[in-house]
Amino acid sequence: MWLSNVYLKTLRDYRIAILGWGVGMGLLVYATLSIFPSLGLTAKNEAQISQLIREFSWLAEGIKIYTPGGYVTYKVGFTILLIAIWPLLVGARMLRGEEERGSMDALLSLPASRSRVALEKLAAMWTALLGMGLLIGLLTYGGGVSVNADFSLGDALLYGLNLTLICGVFGSIALFISQFTEDRGAAAGVTGGLLALFITLDMVHRVFPEAEWLSRLSPVYYYNLSKPLITSYGANPGAMLVMLALSVLLSGVAVWIFTWRDIGGLATLLPAWLRLPERAARPEAALPVNDWSLRSIYARSLSVILLPTFWWALGFVLFSAWMVVIVRQIESSLASFAANSPFIKGFVTSLGGGDAVTNATFLSAMFAFLPLLLMAYAVTQASRWSSDEENGRHELVLATPQSRLTLLLARFAALTTGTVAISVLTLAATEIAAAVSGFALDGGHVAAATLSLIPMGLLVAALGYLFSGWVGTVIDTGLLSFLLVIWFFISYIGPDLKWPEWAQRLSAFYYYGTPLLHGLPVGDTLLVIAVGAVALALAMMRFVRKDIAV
Amino acid sequence: MTAIIEVENLTKRYGSKRGITDVSFQVEEGEVFGFLGPNGAGKTTTIRTLMALLKADGGTARIAGMDCWDKSVEIKRLVGYLPGELSLDPGLTGGQILEYFGHLRGGVDQAYLKGLIERLELDPTRKFRQYSSGNKRKIGLIQAFMHRPRLLILDEPTNGLDPLNQQEFTRMVAEARGEGRTVFLSSHIMSEVEQTCERVGIIREGRLARVGGVTELKDIKRHEITLTFAGGAPADAFKTLPGVEKVEALADGHTLRLTVSGGQDAIVKTAAQYPVVSLTSHEPSLEEIFLRYYEGDGLAVKEAQHVAQ
Repeated sequence: MWLSNVYLKTLRDYRIAILGWGVGMGLLVYATLSIFPSLGLTAKNEAQISQLIREFSWLAEGIKIYTPGGYVTYKVGFTILLIAIWPLLVGARMLRGEEERGSMDALLSLPASRSRVALEKLAAMWTALLGMGLLIGLLTYGGGVSVNADFSLGDALLYGLNLTLICGVFGSIALFISQFTEDRGAAAGVTGGLLALFITLDMVHRVFPEAEWLSRLSPVYYYNLSKPLITSYGANPGAMLVMLALSVLLSGVAVWIFTWRDIGGLATLLPAWLRLPERAARPEAALPVNDWSLRSIYARSLSVILLPTFWWALGFVLFSAWMVVIVRQIESSLASFAANSPFIKGFVTSLGGGDAVTNATFLSAMFAFLPLLLMAYAVTQASRWSSDEENGRHELVLATPQSRLTLLLARFAALTTGTVAISVLTLAATEIAAAVSGFALDGGHVAAATLSLIPMGLLVAALGYLFSGWVGTVIDTGLLSFLLVIWFFISYIGPDLKWPEWAQRLSAFYYYGTPLLHGLPVGDTLLVIAVGAVALALAMMRFVRKDIAV
Repeated sequence: MTAIIEVENLTKRYGSKRGITDVSFQVEEGEVFGFLGPNGAGKTTTIRTLMALLKADGGTARIAGMDCWDKSVEIKRLVGYLPGELSLDPGLTGGQILEYFGHLRGGVDQAYLKGLIERLELDPTRKFRQYSSGNKRKIGLIQAFMHRPRLLILDEPTNGLDPLNQQEFTRMVAEARGEGRTVFLSSHIMSEVEQTCERVGIIREGRLARVGGVTELKDIKRHEITLTFAGGAPADAFKTLPGVEKVEALADGHTLRLTVSGGQDAIVKTAAQYPVVSLTSHEPSLEEIFLRYYEGDGLAVKEAQHVAQ
């Protein structure tokens, strides 16, 4: 039955993702709700915290934070938008991925129109998103019941639906962009960048209310207009319709383009007379190319990751500089709140992870996202390694007098270079932003906070290389993503739930610590480096013995 | 002559699935050796084990006296390899791919490389993803030949090439042999092997069925004689003649098709007693020999027929 048409076959491919993302994100909401009673937030201290929440409003809008629904809406904030990574990957590979693999030719040889094939695949993505939304809604309701929340099952399902709609937007954006890119990776990368940009754009109006017009350009703005878990606020049907309309428009145009463009070719919407004439290349002058990137495996690997690394680095630079500017803006008011109220001091500490209300405490809270982001970068690069092996790309390289160890180490060295570049640029951006905005930060601590990201990224990459010795790309990426989610979950929820230290030590984020506040945790950093080195050594041992691309 | 490839009892399994079992053969330096077999027979497994892409479960494989697994880097300095399926970076141009692999080999003679590009009429300015399957094959062939290796290991080298380029490939193989280099190629196209190879190994269901010279294999040949008579076809007159293995009367009622081994004198003399309109005789191709080799085994015959197509 599951293989009887394109829709069901595609939906079958998504079954693990539906469960994984749906249950994973649902549990995140459930766990966040279950913490609520231990925080002691009540309407009585609303006045105390309202000013503080206003200062943090750039991060997420705090409304009725003393209710379970208000608290979870605030606390989960944009973190839950991590789920949008799935539809953007799916949207990018929905058509372009099939074309890259060459399977689209076979699919279109069936007696079905192009639009039908595309629409069935699109329908499968939406069904999967609705499934995820349903699971998240049900788990949210379950979490609400456990803490006597005032929102209903319908409200919880609307929360899931709102998430489904914003995910659909990013899937549609990726599908649209993939019509203009040569490979799915480029479409996913650009859409990932847009996700970060749209989240940031949405923040703008909460810091500069006069710039709300700018935030309206972001689909995330419309997502945040609905807060179904806050009963007095509710959902905004108009905003939900905007997201639906945007999805339909982008998907519709993408499918329309797909119906007339060459399979494997790029769409161009410009009329012929506006296009640049193609330069006639002279075959006799094609060699030698004299390109630096063709001189070794390392150089080639570096050139392959150059563009994605540039976009990731740009994201890191903008994020860290933006955080410095934001914290600089609110530091004085935060310090006075904290000095006047022990409750607020404790609350900020729980948000920031520090034990003192200082400039660095607030910045430290924001910097806690950096290891997660760098590890996500490492996941994408590690999956490139396993997919290259799976696709037979190592075969001809290994037919030259290059050893397997050389190949693996050259690839890992290129990834290391990318990781170091991102960390160093983040350090530079933070220092420059701090200097320009007059924000006092300990230079040594900033260096520790940014440079100690390197072993975190390399740990994940080494694990990815290790897993790829036994499993294919999909499972390798799945395992790494699962590890990231579990680690994040432990570090995000564990302290609030007063989990024992041994449990919190199961998360790699624990070993990153709070270097912006307390400097480099030398022992923990060395431990991360040691585990990463062992993983890499095991990956090497496995790779030199295994059958290639079997 | 000394053996450049020595394979002894080579065994490779994919879990419970068959790979190759106890494959043994030798390829002499300077010869062109064809490795024949239907799809899934074990040709690519054998080749990938020689290239140390797969680790053998048993037996030994040596190239130039060195163990293929332990000395793989040293061996690959001597070898030019064309895989059965070519997977390369789709964003690189043909020229970039060839330059990259040239660097990984420590540099190649650019004039020779350009000569190969011209011979196979490849446009190196196009991106790999834009090449047709035939042009992708040309990239693979050029990178295998470009460093003038002592041994060429080519897995189904002419797959996707047009007849003109197939001929050019045959000339390239002949030149390589003329220069004293060795070529080991796998194929399921008999005419290609017949044209290019001196010795042939036939692999079937993971086991080497036979190794011999191309002429030696043809010695098990049968002739097929087709006789058309003006009147009715006298099938019984031929059935008992020495060397006649099979007599088939065609539906037109005038024609007989005989399968004959050995001399044909008795057949010609018997036929002369009847009014003969035409007599044709042809030597079987390696293809037909191969089909016959599998005769009697339902599955094998099916495989062989696939090969012959």
